[in-house]
Amino acid sequence: MSEAALSQPLLQARGLTKRFQGLLSVNRVSFAIAENEILGLIGPNGAGKTTLVNMMSGTLKPNAGEIIFRGTPITALPPFRRAHLGIARTFQVMKPFQGMSVLDNVAVGALFGQGGGEKAMRQARESAREWITFTGLARHLDARAEALGGPDRKRLEFAKALAMRPKLLLLDEVMAGLNPVEIDEMVDLIKKICARGVTLLVIEHVMKAIRSLSDRVMVLRNGEMIAEGTPDDVLSDPRVIEAYLGARRA
Amino acid sequence: MVLAQILFNGILLGGLYGLMALGMALVWGVLNIVNLAHGAMIMLGGYIVFCLFQYAHVDPFAALPIAMLVMFGVGFLLQYCLLNLIVRSALLNTLLITFGLDVVITYMAQLIFTADFRAINPPYAGANFSVFGLTVPLIRLAAFLIALVLAGALWALLNLMPLGRAIRATSQNLTAARLYGVDPRSVYAITFGIGAALAGAAGGLYGMISNLTPYIGASLTAKSFVIAIIGGLNNPFNVILGGLVVGIAESLAALYLGPTYTDAISFGLLVLVLVVRPPRSLRAA
Amino acid sequence: MRTWHIVLALLVAAGLAAVPWLHNDVLIQFGINALLLATLAQSWNILGGFTGYVSFGNSVFYGLGTYGTAIAMVQYNLPFGVGLAIGALAAMLCAALVGLPILRLRGPYFAIATLGLNGAMAALISNLPLAGSNNGLVLPLTRNDALFYELAVALLVACTATVWWIASSRYGTALVAIREDEDAAGSMGVNATLYKVSALVLSSLFTAIAGGIHAYWSTFVDPASAFDTTLNVRMVIMCVFGGPGTVFGPVIGSFILSIIYELLASKISTAAVLLFGIVIVVAVIFIPKGLADWLAHARTSNWRYFLRNIRENRL
Repeated sequence: MSEAALSQPLLQARGLTKRFQGLLSVNRVSFAIAENEILGLIGPNGAGKTTLVNMMSGTLKPNAGEIIFRGTPITALPPFRRAHLGIARTFQVMKPFQGMSVLDNVAVGALFGQGGGEKAMRQARESAREWITFTGLARHLDARAEALGGPDRKRLEFAKALAMRPKLLLLDEVMAGLNPVEIDEMVDLIKKICARGVTLLVIEHVMKAIRSLSDRVMVLRNGEMIAEGTPDDVLSDPRVIEAYLGARRA
Repeated sequence: MVLAQILFNGILLGGLYGLMALGMALVWGVLNIVNLAHGAMIMLGGYIVFCLFQYAHVDPFAALPIAMLVMFGVGFLLQYCLLNLIVRSALLNTLLITFGLDVVITYMAQLIFTADFRAINPPYAGANFSVFGLTVPLIRLAAFLIALVLAGALWALLNLMPLGRAIRATSQNLTAARLYGVDPRSVYAITFGIGAALAGAAGGLYGMISNLTPYIGASLTAKSFVIAIIGGLNNPFNVILGGLVVGIAESLAALYLGPTYTDAISFGLLVLVLVVRPPRSLRAA
Repeated sequence: MRTWHIVLALLVAAGLAAVPWLHNDVLIQFGINALLLATLAQSWNILGGFTGYVSFGNSVFYGLGTYGTAIAMVQYNLPFGVGLAIGALAAMLCAALVGLPILRLRGPYFAIATLGLNGAMAALISNLPLAGSNNGLVLPLTRNDALFYELAVALLVACTATVWWIASSRYGTALVAIREDEDAAGSMGVNATLYKVSALVLSSLFTAIAGGIHAYWSTFVDPASAFDTTLNVRMVIMCVFGGPGTVFGPVIGSFILSIIYELLASKISTAAVLLFGIVIVVAVIFIPKGLADWLAHARTSNWRYFLRNIRENRL
């Protein structure tokens, strides 16, 4: 944790609630993310993690609650404005721009990201090249996005978000479907990004990664936050264990 | 009293409009094909009834089932041989191919029937009777009732009969339906055929109420769209309701604004519905 | 978009511009129609091809351009240039006002909403005495086909140059991103509404000027010819046939279809339109991605290209 954590948090969420036709997906969740920390978000499937991220990125409007980013309320802002403020995200169901090359996919992030992005195509493409190399996609530079396989698509999602030069990066299960070696590589990349000053929220099911990355961890179950604290505390909390494994038979 | 008559006329007309849109809503909801040639198929149905009446002296109402059968065959073949080839393509392509079919059907009709106005005028054409001071034209009432009956028949087919189950299964989950032994090519073709048959019936009735030319297709297609969107693609009775909305709106508009604005009214209604209440229950392409 | 493409394009443009010197009236008249249609296809390409919003109502801008020019010249005795400008402004205003609510609709709903646009505007205009109501307006006569021809060439070049710029610019990247995945594009910072509406406005600009040129050339406008519904689908088909989202596809596609149509029409008039419909049906089945895509693959796959298209798209 950096000293910056003592000052105003980068993002504050208060009482976020989301209802889908009677089903309460997220129920009055409040939390804060300190600058430059890595916050892990875990919970069983259907707990509302992606919905929470959707509300933070602007894809979904909360039924109640507010979000404050760097002191500014952003609850009413559409996704593209939040991108300009410095919030980027990856999608769990990957959304590459199929008809474009990998280079151009990432260039979109560079062109329209934080602060409105680059204005010139050439600079944007150069920046995109750097991020493509950083995420290990260099050999696919000119390939069409639709030709990439699973793990490469994950890397592309990551590169696109990075190219936006975000202040806050929301990662939604970027390690799903990766083998142990690839997971280690991804953890490495995330640590490097954090070292550059980016704040991260990481949704994951891979506990080893959560343990090694997160400064703090939040646990969601049935739309409610049931635990928050350091990885060790949270992962040994009986309520969290019960949430994942079911109640222990005495 | 004039207002009541206008509203009543609007309701009767609306029933027929609903029938027109029924076929399009069915095909759109199940096959995800937006059929720009739908109006042309209505027109064809009208001409079939016209020919049977004019040259074979068959009573138009008796000719309706024949026209429906013929149109079913036409629709079945079109889907099986042509449209099945592009079903998984982008929506734009189905719009384009059905537009091409619309052009072909319209101009073939022009070649065969010429551009003259035709009408189907059986001897009882002008008959009407009075109820509560309202004039009820016999043919329009019959058209309204037939529309209701056909909508009911479609509902029964989709919800009570095995074929209907197969159709609904195919529309919801193609792969699963295949696994259950449904042959999608035939189901698709049958569905399109039913849509065409309904269009044919609507055409025959339309020919008894208004004039037939090869060019009525375009505006009828547009009207059917509006109704399909207002009424939704799931329930035949809702489509009829949609037809009533449009029928009443048009009649009122004709009364207060004049007849030239009917197309503008449908368009206005369409934009209103789409913008104010974006269709979430409708299938997105 | 390499250098030789541009050189070739410039040569073709020069060649087109030189046609009037052949002094073949029929060719010049065919040329004017073909060039204007190519412009319509190319301007449709901006919203339809690059942004992926299929509009079946762009002829409304053509009609507004036609009437803007006609009303300016006939009712107010303004010069042609001013008339064109007024027509263009009217169309762009319409595009902005109508675009804002309608572009919120996705996919087929947008396409269908635009269907009625044309008819609605035609109905409005036909009730306007200033526009000559249903009788239309007669513009002053200028017997100079060559001039109109060159204007049409210039318009097509301007439009194609704009599309070429779009294809290689940040603006165009935004449009394509919107087409591929509008939600993802928004999350990455693209203000979709701004780009969509501006694309529609750009599209309307060139469409309207084409209408204005046609109005002055044919000296007669009325609601039926100005808001011609068949124009709508012809421009869509020409663009899609040629290759939506490419720079030269729509132009090539539209010229080829214009030539085919002309050849057929001179032989058997109604059947010509009929065959046009058949051409479209066949094209959608065998070359759904347009001519540009076929040409790009022709060297490698010959007839298997067609079979592959069918296999990909059939039930």
